[in-house]
Amino acid sequence: MIDSRKRFARAVIAMLALLCVGVAIASAARALYVHDEGRLHYINSSGSLIREEGAATGTLAGRLQVHFLYDGSPTVTASFTISGNGWSLDGRGTGRLNNPNSPSPSFRGAMSITGGSGRYAHAHGSGEMFGVFYRRGHYALTVQTLGELHY
Amino acid sequence: MLRRTWALAAALTLLACVPSTALATQSVKLSAGFSPDRPGASTTISFGFQISAEHSQIPSPLTGIDLRYPADLGLGTSDLGLATCLPSSLQIFGPAGCPANSRMGYGSAFAEIPIGPVLVGEPASITLLAGPAQEGHLDFLVYALAEIPVYAQIIFSALLLPEPAPFGGRLHFDVPLVPSLPEAPDVAVVRLRTTLGSRGLTYYERVHGKTIAYRPNGILLPSSCPRGGFPFAANLSFQDGTHAHAATRVPCPGSPRGVRRHG
Repeated sequence: MIDSRKRFARAVIAMLALLCVGVAIASAARALYVHDEGRLHYINSSGSLIREEGAATGTLAGRLQVHFLYDGSPTVTASFTISGNGWSLDGRGTGRLNNPNSPSPSFRGAMSITGGSGRYAHAHGSGEMFGVFYRRGHYALTVQTLGELHY
Repeated sequence: MLRRTWALAAALTLLACVPSTALATQSVKLSAGFSPDRPGASTTISFGFQISAEHSQIPSPLTGIDLRYPADLGLGTSDLGLATCLPSSLQIFGPAGCPANSRMGYGSAFAEIPIGPVLVGEPASITLLAGPAQEGHLDFLVYALAEIPVYAQIIFSALLLPEPAPFGGRLHFDVPLVPSLPEAPDVAVVRLRTTLGSRGLTYYERVHGKTIAYRPNGILLPSSCPRGGFPFAANLSFQDGTHAHAATRVPCPGSPRGVRRHG
């Protein structure tokens, strides 16, 4: 009888311990589904590299800076930083440009979160990016990202 | 007397045929430049080829060009070629049948046609236009028009392809053979020069219901010049199966040297 009580008590303790560990893991690795949009304006350029800046709206609102590279091949690459109050997120993406002769060709591809600072210091994640590159005027850029962020 | 006439006729026939078919190994000189050539500026690229054969003979007809251009030239980010010219429209109506916003450059070519012992020069005008992209690759259409002594309207494309450093890409031209006169070899191009950029171009856009003319920005140069200048290189292919290579560099602004050329 005493033995069975002891066994029961041990089992309860073990379950509680597992529960605590689970809670700790859950709080250490949070996940966020991100859907953001940035409407950017031209800052400067160097050859095939264009630097753009603007506001990011959506799940992670903040200031968005993008380095957009398009050298005439079908592939475009972008690296970006979203900064908020005491945090930042860095990422990069590679996409394929559609209808490159259009005044506003569109692109779509994969995006990954590579790091950050503040509460996103250990951030990582992946998703999709798509957008429009406005060649006429001042090279404005509209970018949308969809993905999952772990931090 | 009759024997002398036959001998003269035979000699003339030989004279008419032999030089026209005697082709030799080709060499090429490549030239390139930017206007303006300030770092970070929107520029017009000009490039040209001078083809020659050994012993002042006629070069073999050109069949292909691969022109490598420096990294970080803003060919993709330029606002040139905002409209697409369809090859079928170009074939029927010439450049006038294509949108003004599809024009990307102008140039000229000079060909030589052997007519008997005489080399006859044939100038041609060149227009560069934006063609339909091929699997996402930018494609330029080259329209060449020559009128005399052989009327020829030639259309061929130049596909923009990737290329490893120090180059940013490669323009691959497939040049069609151009028949000249009966019994004479195909037209041999000896000079070709063209621009790629906003110089001489007028584009149009609709603003508040009105059509406004403007000059496109052109091709952005990087904000810093690569060490040793901007490298260009070309491989030319000829009908006789031979190839010729040439390279040049556009010096950095302020460099005391002129454009270096290598044959």
